[in-house]
Amino acid sequence: MKKKISIAFFGLFLGIHVSAQHTHTQSDSTKHLKEVKITAIAKKKIETDMKMAVSVDEFLASSENISFIKRGAYAWEPLLNNMSTERSTLTIDGMHVFGACTDKMDPVTSYVESNDLSGINITSGQEGNMHGATVAGSIDLKRKSIPFGMERKWSGAYQSGFEFNNRQFFNLSNLSYSTERFTADGRVSFRKAGNYRDGKNDEVNHSQYNKFNTSLGLAYKTGDLSSVRVDAIYDKAKDVGFPALPMDLWLSRAIITSASYKQLFDEGLLRVWDSKVYFNAIEHYMDDTTRPENLVHMDMPGWSTTYGLLSRVHLKKDSYSSEIQANAYENLSIAEMTMYPQNRSKKTMFAYSWPWVMTRFAGLSMNNTWDISERSRLNFGGSLGWNYNRSKYVEFNWIFHPATPQEKSRILPGLHASYRLEIDQFAFSVGTGYGHRAPSVSEGYGYYIYNSFDRYDYIGNPDLKNEISYEGNASAGFRNERMGVEAKVNYFYIQNYIVGRILSLGSPMNYQSVGVKGYTSLDHARLFNLSLNANYDILRHLHWKGMLSYARATDDKKGNLPFIRPLSYQTSLYFMHRKLGVWTSVNGDFEQQKYSPEYGEDQTPAYMIWNISGDYTLNFKGYQAVLQIGAENLFNTYYSTYADWGNIPRMGRNIFTTLKINF
Amino acid sequence: MVACTKDKTDYEAEIATEVTEYVEFEEAARITVGDYDIGVEALNGTFYVGYNEVRVKVTDKQTGADMQVSSVTFLPIRKEEGGNTTSCPHRYDMNISTDENCFSGYAVFTDASRPGGNWELYISFTIDGQLYSVHQAITVEEQLNMNLNMTSFTGKDDEQYIIALVSPQRPKVGENELVAGIYRFEQPNSPPTSDFPDPSQFTYTEVSGYTLLLDPRMPEPSMGNHSSPNNVDLTQRDDGLYYGVVNYTMTGNWTLNFILQNEEGRILRGTEVPTVFTPGIEGVKSELYIDVLF
Ligand SMILES: [Cu+2]
Repeated sequence: MKKKISIAFFGLFLGIHVSAQHTHTQSDSTKHLKEVKITAIAKKKIETDMKMAVSVDEFLASSENISFIKRGAYAWEPLLNNMSTERSTLTIDGMHVFGACTDKMDPVTSYVESNDLSGINITSGQEGNMHGATVAGSIDLKRKSIPFGMERKWSGAYQSGFEFNNRQFFNLSNLSYSTERFTADGRVSFRKAGNYRDGKNDEVNHSQYNKFNTSLGLAYKTGDLSSVRVDAIYDKAKDVGFPALPMDLWLSRAIITSASYKQLFDEGLLRVWDSKVYFNAIEHYMDDTTRPENLVHMDMPGWSTTYGLLSRVHLKKDSYSSEIQANAYENLSIAEMTMYPQNRSKKTMFAYSWPWVMTRFAGLSMNNTWDISERSRLNFGGSLGWNYNRSKYVEFNWIFHPATPQEKSRILPGLHASYRLEIDQFAFSVGTGYGHRAPSVSEGYGYYIYNSFDRYDYIGNPDLKNEISYEGNASAGFRNERMGVEAKVNYFYIQNYIVGRILSLGSPMNYQSVGVKGYTSLDHARLFNLSLNANYDILRHLHWKGMLSYARATDDKKGNLPFIRPLSYQTSLYFMHRKLGVWTSVNGDFEQQKYSPEYGEDQTPAYMIWNISGDYTLNFKGYQAVLQIGAENLFNTYYSTYADWGNIPRMGRNIFTTLKINF
Repeated sequence: MVACTKDKTDYEAEIATEVTEYVEFEEAARITVGDYDIGVEALNGTFYVGYNEVRVKVTDKQTGADMQVSSVTFLPIRKEEGGNTTSCPHRYDMNISTDENCFSGYAVFTDASRPGGNWELYISFTIDGQLYSVHQAITVEEQLNMNLNMTSFTGKDDEQYIIALVSPQRPKVGENELVAGIYRFEQPNSPPTSDFPDPSQFTYTEVSGYTLLLDPRMPEPSMGNHSSPNNVDLTQRDDGLYYGVVNYTMTGNWTLNFILQNEEGRILRGTEVPTVFTPGIEGVKSELYIDVLF
């Protein structure tokens, strides 16, 4: 019987080897696979301790390596290890999906809904290169899948709630059917929110959103140890405001589909073979007519289409296990700008901000684990990728980079190794990594992409060198029955670090722009991340945990890099007894000392937020209902964080209520 | 699969519908004298305001065979009501083009034909030492392709100048070789000596050694005086025309702002334009400019 265990608590931050992914491997089949340990931090349940009806963004935010650039209330851009999305691979069950917005309104995380996910695998650094080349690591959104032969043929859940601050009303529901040979799983969700109010009770205009998401998964067991599965997600966001940008989103739609085949093996070296083909298409239409301050308007549609396949085998022999994955995909990114003359009957002005840029990637990744002894384990692996770009309308790239080739191929190697030692209640690890990444579509081929943070138009450079990361990481931890403490550090030395630099050539194109920046490579940049985690069971029913994180990042001239989280903390108390849970937390950032005016940043003052929530569980006739009520930013603090685009204020006090019924 | 909500732009097709391109030489006028047919060819079979490449072919009226012609002169004359006559930049002594077996030249018509202002071509040619002279009224149409626009003005040296765009007919986004003809009217220093028309009264020269400084900008208020990098000023090549490079960052309407300098670097016309980005305000143009559109 699946029940809502409110103890995401333990596994959550010290959970080194728990992986939702492999739990599914087991339950997909009646046969059991030996426990597979991976070093990913698997976020177990899609709810934070405090709030059960979280959005994907809120859920990610509770991880210590993740921070966010926020352009509004919706679709936050996740930063992993304080690095932007170009430097990490973002995937949904290993599938590459690329947003269709040149202004990053649509990170991949915006195309799924929390009730569709079982967890999120966050892997830091080169260990995250399983799905493709990366520098910062990988964020893989794991979708839920229903096991064959569940006790109950039909099961489901319905969740509804209201958040008072922005009058967000949401409905999340799912229904699944499971027999010995067949499962079906459908989910539907709606969210509708108005403008939120900041800590001064002022309405933040253009912060509303509307989201509809639905998904369907069908699986059929083709043999004792094999199954096929087809999945589809459809997501539609309409009338989404981005208060920090000069325009909003009129409509964005995504269809994300896949078909996969999985074969398990009883014995032998080869244990699992899992293959998938996928297709996804995104359309994205911005709208700047909602803003009276825009005296002129332009159309900025974008499209992104990706085909791909991945195939993974899992090998195991004695104390050695290995995962090998082949990835291949092809993406086409198109974005247009159409400006209108004063006399609208006259010919429009047109340019591509992504001139039909095709990206092809093919790579092979491998991760090996060798349990040297009961106490120590060596983890090592590598990846080799081929990355190919072609700009169909290369004339747009030629304007700033005359005669640059239309096509470009890159080889992207990656290597990593780590060693973990456990001595009694202590655990230590050290690791290192080396890897390349190719420039993103915008960095390589973008054309006059307006960045409202520094108010520059950005020009891509097809001739950029690969970014090369040298990485080291270490951790030390202690845990016993009542408490746990862990410290983690990582350090990245990144050669050819890609940033935008002011160009002396050219003049702005976008209405609000002040100049033109071109992507160039710094000689190098350094990033350092430190986090401290602790938890303590004060009483049997009263638990405490805390987290402190610090980051520092500099460019080759010792200047600060932007969007680096200042010293920040999170601490919480959780009381749980029988059917009642009460939770309270405080989180905040210290004053941002190391900000970067050069990249458009100003200093952000310290802030502290207090949150509280309580839930109560009811059981009746095989149903289970959980009622939750809580308040975020209880004291209605007025604040904005270092990563709030345009210093837009965050939400003030928000009272939320949720009712969830499982059956 | 789900169809897209909005269609993608086919921008190459849009340029093609916006811009009228002239590619084929076709006969624009035919004159018969004695046993000969004189065919005058222009691109698209039409004379337009602006730069026109012109070919003249003389054939036997009976057999249609090409004749051996030793020289051809070509003089367009505009006759206005009240008897005033003017010309326009042209090549008086046409060049022989052996492979096409014709004579080639050009005319930069400054006005379209209209009531009270008509164009005539005066052509003479020599066959076997015998000189033949003919003239024929022609029709000059308004220029349909803004990329072949022209401008005429009086320079600071009190001379009359004409600048006409020759190429590209159909610009593309990115670098385009920009070709222009720059012509000066030579004031006659003596009264006409021969019968009308006396070519010495209607002389235009291709100025030599000048420089045409270029600053292309988008004049629409929404574009805020947007410009482009990597443009190259126009200088003269052996064929007498001026060559430079214009870089268009996007399709739409552009203003080619010019400054004309003579061989000594003296500015004859044109002013520097502001380089600041001024969104919402129409771009300030040089006193010497040509508007284009694609
Ligand atoms: Cu967008």
